[in-house]
Amino acid sequence: MSSPMESVDAVQKSLEAEGYICDRRIATVVYLAMQLEKPVLVEGPAGVGKTELAKVVARATGRPLIRLQCYEGLDEAKALYEWEYSKQLLYTQILKEKISEVMEGTRTLREAAERVGAQDSVFFSDQFIVPRPLLHAITADEKSALLIDEVDKSDPEFEAFLLEVLSDFQVTVPEIGTFQAKSKPIVFLTSNDAREMSDALKRRCLHLWIDYPSEDVERKILEVKVPGMDRKLAQDLVTLMHKIRSLDLKKTPSISETLDWARALLALNASALEEDLVKETMNVILKYEADIRKAQQELSRMMAKPAAQPGAPAAPADPARKKGTLH
Amino acid sequence: MQRKILEFANLLRQSGLRVSVAEAIDAFQALDELSLDDRDVFRDALRASLVKRGDDIATYDQLFDLYWSGFYDNLKNAFDSATGSLAEQGIDVQQLLEQIRQMLESGQLPEGEMDLGDLARALLTGDLNQLEQMIRAAASQAGAARIENMLQIGFFSRRTMEQLGAENAAGELRDLAARLRAAGMGDAEAEAIGKLADRFFEALRQSVRDYMDRELQTRNFDYMERFRREALFEKSFYSLTEEEIARMREVVNRLAQRIKNVMSIRKRRLKRGKLDLHTMLRRNAGHGGLPFELVFKERRKDRPKLVILCDVSSSVANVSRFMLQFVYSLQECFTKIRAFVFVAELGEVTQTFHDHEVSKAIEEALEGGGVINVYTRSNFGMAFHTFWRDFLSAVDAKTTVLVLGDARNNYNDPKAWCLRDIHNKAKNVIWLNPESPSAWGFGDSVMDKYLPFTTLAEECRNLRQLSRIVDRLVL
Repeated sequence: MSSPMESVDAVQKSLEAEGYICDRRIATVVYLAMQLEKPVLVEGPAGVGKTELAKVVARATGRPLIRLQCYEGLDEAKALYEWEYSKQLLYTQILKEKISEVMEGTRTLREAAERVGAQDSVFFSDQFIVPRPLLHAITADEKSALLIDEVDKSDPEFEAFLLEVLSDFQVTVPEIGTFQAKSKPIVFLTSNDAREMSDALKRRCLHLWIDYPSEDVERKILEVKVPGMDRKLAQDLVTLMHKIRSLDLKKTPSISETLDWARALLALNASALEEDLVKETMNVILKYEADIRKAQQELSRMMAKPAAQPGAPAAPADPARKKGTLH
Repeated sequence: MQRKILEFANLLRQSGLRVSVAEAIDAFQALDELSLDDRDVFRDALRASLVKRGDDIATYDQLFDLYWSGFYDNLKNAFDSATGSLAEQGIDVQQLLEQIRQMLESGQLPEGEMDLGDLARALLTGDLNQLEQMIRAAASQAGAARIENMLQIGFFSRRTMEQLGAENAAGELRDLAARLRAAGMGDAEAEAIGKLADRFFEALRQSVRDYMDRELQTRNFDYMERFRREALFEKSFYSLTEEEIARMREVVNRLAQRIKNVMSIRKRRLKRGKLDLHTMLRRNAGHGGLPFELVFKERRKDRPKLVILCDVSSSVANVSRFMLQFVYSLQECFTKIRAFVFVAELGEVTQTFHDHEVSKAIEEALEGGGVINVYTRSNFGMAFHTFWRDFLSAVDAKTTVLVLGDARNNYNDPKAWCLRDIHNKAKNVIWLNPESPSAWGFGDSVMDKYLPFTTLAEECRNLRQLSRIVDRLVL
């Protein structure tokens, strides 16, 4: 452990030291997760730093990060362990003679079967198991950080077998027995809410909802991640981002987009946010043609000085909203 | 503290959040690890362990404020103001209480020990913590959790006061004053004690009312929330407001998602098929016939084709709206979807769904999709005939035909034989009617004429019925 995480504040500080700016809520949950040794289910919109959180915690605590990326069709063979079928088969072939040695002197079929039975643990042993990330995290000698990324992309049944891992930190291999974790890893599961996770899974986790950051926090993030950016420019950028987020868009831009945009502006040597510049670079933050069009239409209104408009008017989520003229 | 957390968990449950016992225990453990001084940390810790859905966070935050914003503070305010007004009359409450305490302890009282009740004792010692707990206990004894409206505040306050034994305590205090006087206390002081008791009881009554008021607010909040959720499922499509349509859209999306999940399990089960011996032997020929690589048969997925005929006249527009949303959210569950809308004329809107995203496409389709006139009277006969004439080729033995409409034909020719021909060609004909079966065939309803040519005809008037039908459609 490179830094002790003894209180909520200490957690926040050590995350900050690793370049992860967060509010106390996140720090509180991370602290609790370490104290209670419970997994954390991190949810929130895409690109707010869910995966990053796990990485940073791993770095801050000096634990190795074991990552399991979930996708549709992921099964235990790829996540947990797999018998090395070909190796087993190869060994039986090579050991054929040895086997006949073992069988030597048996007269009845029953006797032969018993002898083979006495040996079968050879073929179902650690030697023939290929450990996948979960088993890895469980059997590792030192404490590790396990990241199960985008768990919502996996199938519901995969979730079911995560349960054993998450609640007891153990893995049962029917042929061998149960592997108990030598040291409990800290586990992060991230989800984009593509589907709702089962209650059973949620019950075993602490829940953390990371939302878009406040302007203050986002500006700090910008300062840390994109050094060398003009303060005023950063402030303007963040303010504009927040206004864009209040639009009703297909894909709302998140922190990673803010950072990309900031870097792009830096590369373009921009000194101030001008409307034309924003229009030209808008495709950095918005990924749909329709979104870009909408944002561009609203742009001049959004970039008006705050004094001229009373608060950023949030687009109402009204189904009957007319797609009218915007000027 | 544990009791309070359990009660809070209960409250969350009543508001429709799922909070298990294990999660409540987590909350205890979490709080053990933290100092409770920081309100924000406390809130976040409880939230992390109790609330597991993004959607529920808003509810949680509101309830948290209602529940934890300290009834204790109310109590303290009430008693502080009581003390303040006594001070204006020249009575130093602290000193007086101290005096009483000393007299009680020194045993100066005649006729042996005074036996003061808990309430009187708590009042005299100014132990607000104790008082708060007593009020909570008494309120729950009085059944305050059942409070439902403003008018009951008085009633439950009275009952709580009774449970607290307020009468008794008042008597005890009067008694005490008399005894103290007998024990040699000045008249002025004895009078002060009387005033003090009056003011304190007033404060107590006020606090109990406050308590009921808060209780009502929290309960009401649950009630409203739960009502809104439940109602949406049961509410008839006929009477949805704009806002409900928006909310409903989300619900439909979530349901569609759930159905997709179930589908994915089924698909995976199919994939785990039997060994494909043929291919396996061929592929492993290089290993001397030893099966190093296993090959499994992949079974073909049986996805239905769907043809939807939607009546978009105003009477059934909402059913059509949600059915279309459902079907298009589940697009990947079908091989092919063709959507038609009709009032009297019939037109295809499949292309609309290709060109626009779902919600917009639906709005457009409901307005006729630019292909039909929606401002006429329904004519099912004509619509079916058009379909029979122009699009019958779209129907084959794998096609499920879904008809949405109330079959109110305005006394036109029903042309049931068109539906018969469609029925003969299709795998299924499913008819969803927003009217209840008892109304079928009455007035200008020609449902009875069409009924023989449907595989399944169902009433579909609210979301629950709709989701059941969609379930059957894809599974």
